[in-house]
Amino acid sequence: MSVEVEVNENDLAEMVEQVWMSYLDPEGISPLIPNYDENQPSEVHSSVSITGSWHGHVVYASSTVAARRAAAAFLAMGEDEVSDEDLSDVLGELANIVGGNVKAMLPPGAFLSLPQVMLAPQSATKYPSAERISGVYGTWEDEPVSVSMWQSRQDKKEEGK
Amino acid sequence: MKILIADDSRVMRQIVVRTLRQAGFGDHDLVEAADGKAALDMTNAEKPDLVISDWNMPELTGIEVLRQLRASGNDVKFGFVTSECTPEMQQQAEASGAAFFIVKPFTAERFDEVFASILG
Repeated sequence: MSVEVEVNENDLAEMVEQVWMSYLDPEGISPLIPNYDENQPSEVHSSVSITGSWHGHVVYASSTVAARRAAAAFLAMGEDEVSDEDLSDVLGELANIVGGNVKAMLPPGAFLSLPQVMLAPQSATKYPSAERISGVYGTWEDEPVSVSMWQSRQDKKEEGK
Repeated sequence: MKILIADDSRVMRQIVVRTLRQAGFGDHDLVEAADGKAALDMTNAEKPDLVISDWNMPELTGIEVLRQLRASGNDVKFGFVTSECTPEMQQQAEASGAAFFIVKPFTAERFDEVFASILG
């Protein structure tokens, strides 16, 4: 079974805003500023896969500086205290939170995988059978951050039937 | 009061602890479990007054932990903190006797709203 996904860029932007408000920028002084540049570089990324009523991936990507800053904010520690393990765990949690929120907007019967973290640019991971359907791209204190959704081509084909 | 925090993510357990402190509940005795089986075992062994559990965890999911506790006659106050929140999940939680359902990301205000009546 396949259905047209109804999670658009505005929904993703709202989820991202909630993450910033709750954890990364509770004071509301350094929001993610959209730049709509889907080709902006990244140095680290994390993802969760969704299967069942919808097939695809939700990917969080950023520079290492932005990931370190996110880890420091999540764990209430100084940026110089953040270990690689902290960085990986926080990146995984970011993908998990956004992925969970995306799943809630999909038809019943969607399953979320555990997060995968790569301390490498998003371009290092290929989704050969999926294509990008939406994304939020911007900078956080001048550092690149993005959240994107990739849908299985098989799903998209069935939509067209 | 003793509170058990069950989540397979170390980061999320830490955030739950911090948010409890921010919401003014930091004086309670906080213990942690890193998967569903540990959550079940620790609830039986440590007898917490409240269990704050993730939904999706290795070994046993949060809802399985809750169902097993209720099946064995344990009526500890139990609720969920999860990034996944579908109407089906909320119905299952409610039907199994969950006291609350908090969606990630959450704020200290949300914790205060939910836990003020439970923790006093």
